[in-house]
Amino acid sequence: MFHYFHNHIQAFLRAVIRIKSNWPSSIIMILVIGITLCLPATGFLLVENASQLSSKIEYEAEISIFLDQTISQDQINFIGSALKQTSSIEKVNFEPKIRAWEKLQEKLKINSLDAGISENPLPDAFFVTLNTLDNNIVESLHKDIKNLEGVKEVIIDSGWIKKLRSILYLIKVGLLILGTLLAMVLIVVIGNTIRLQTLTYQNEIEVSRLIGATDSFIQRPFIYTGIFYGLGGSLVTGGLLTVILELFNRVAFKFESILGGLIMLTNLPPSKYIFITIFAMALGLLASYFSASRSIKTI
Amino acid sequence: MIKFNNVFKRYSGAKDILQNVSFEIHSGELVFVTGSSGAGKSTLLKLISAIEKPSSGDIIFENQNLSDLRGVDMPYLRRKFGMIFQDHKLLFDRNCFENVALPLAINDTTSIDISRRVRAALNKVGLLEKEKLMPITLSGGEQQRLAIARAIVSRPAILIADEPTANLDKKYADEIMNIFYSFQQVGVTVIISSHEAPKSPIRFKEFHLIHGELIKPQDVSLLS
Repeated sequence: MFHYFHNHIQAFLRAVIRIKSNWPSSIIMILVIGITLCLPATGFLLVENASQLSSKIEYEAEISIFLDQTISQDQINFIGSALKQTSSIEKVNFEPKIRAWEKLQEKLKINSLDAGISENPLPDAFFVTLNTLDNNIVESLHKDIKNLEGVKEVIIDSGWIKKLRSILYLIKVGLLILGTLLAMVLIVVIGNTIRLQTLTYQNEIEVSRLIGATDSFIQRPFIYTGIFYGLGGSLVTGGLLTVILELFNRVAFKFESILGGLIMLTNLPPSKYIFITIFAMALGLLASYFSASRSIKTI
Repeated sequence: MIKFNNVFKRYSGAKDILQNVSFEIHSGELVFVTGSSGAGKSTLLKLISAIEKPSSGDIIFENQNLSDLRGVDMPYLRRKFGMIFQDHKLLFDRNCFENVALPLAINDTTSIDISRRVRAALNKVGLLEKEKLMPITLSGGEQQRLAIARAIVSRPAILIADEPTANLDKKYADEIMNIFYSFQQVGVTVIISSHEAPKSPIRFKEFHLIHGELIKPQDVSLLS
């Protein structure tokens, strides 16, 4: 076990020395990885912020409650007070059917006699505004209201939010595909760099093999180099995202008065940055492992 | 210890480099493989150290047929040999100490042991004071001695040297040969390829190759 760790520490140090001695090409490689990963990461940052914005819009979503035609005034009062006592309801607005009919007639420029309608076809209705984002509460409220006596239909007026969310979901899928394609590009680029490094160290590889080094011993420093590239690339991505965010928010601050509100982007949570780091290191590991093992066999 | 049975070696499109070579080397012997350029000396050494495989015939090392050895076992076999190459094969981006330490690093030796053994090996070849220098700053003879230090640092049972004195003047060549003799004296098997056998103060065995054929191995007496 001691020898195992000792070997890895040696390979780790050898990789550090190699990166240091080839620092210009190492920096270029790290920048390439960082900028490439920054593209899908920025996309995710924007989508995450848009998702948060859509959650806030839902806060103002309404529930429309249409009552039976035959409902009594007592029942209307009972439903009204029940709604007002519900903690998740912000505002209750009652619209009597007569007012709704007047509004419709005004809008369509008709009267009941001309239209051949003998009586008002519209029901009394409550329009309530919610103060919660929680889907479970909204669903449970929808169910409770529907069970109230005299209530004919309950409509949650958030269809367009669902559409927005679907679009955001599709964008996320698109970004995932883009991310996968870019990851494949990175594997090829890192792999090629590692292959060129094996050629640079051809003499060392030959000598090591002649004096009894195993392929895994020769391969290890190259694998650590790939992991370092991934780690460095993820740090560049993190730095770039922070700069992009800062620049955007500064510009947004200047436009606050024109836009009538402040649109600020919030940074990705630490868990997402950890994911990017692990992902980039895994890419470096994969690319260097396959490239080095293949290249070493041909030397 | 090492036995060749009817060994042939040919490369595709070329005639046989070695033809029907058979011999036996015992533990602790000093052996010179001699012959003119192209006689097959280097190929013979490569076959002994399992760098090359025979086209036909058997090479037995410590009762193990090398043809049956799997690729993954090859590195462990090579660790039993101390190899000295005609072109030294030193790493010019590492200093003398690091060059000599390479076989020990491969062999899972601890840092303290590496330090101790590398200095002992450098001392043996007279390069202890130059441990921090880069190989490029050494003379040809010193580079050869550095290659010898790297070959002996892991205390191999067999030392194999491919024309170690080829490009050296007589003074340096004698120094190098004396180092090899000293190892043979302490029980190490030493196999050296050379154009001709030197006048040695100790008994040795000579394998003379002519166009890939081994002229009957002969024991050569002191300063023959």
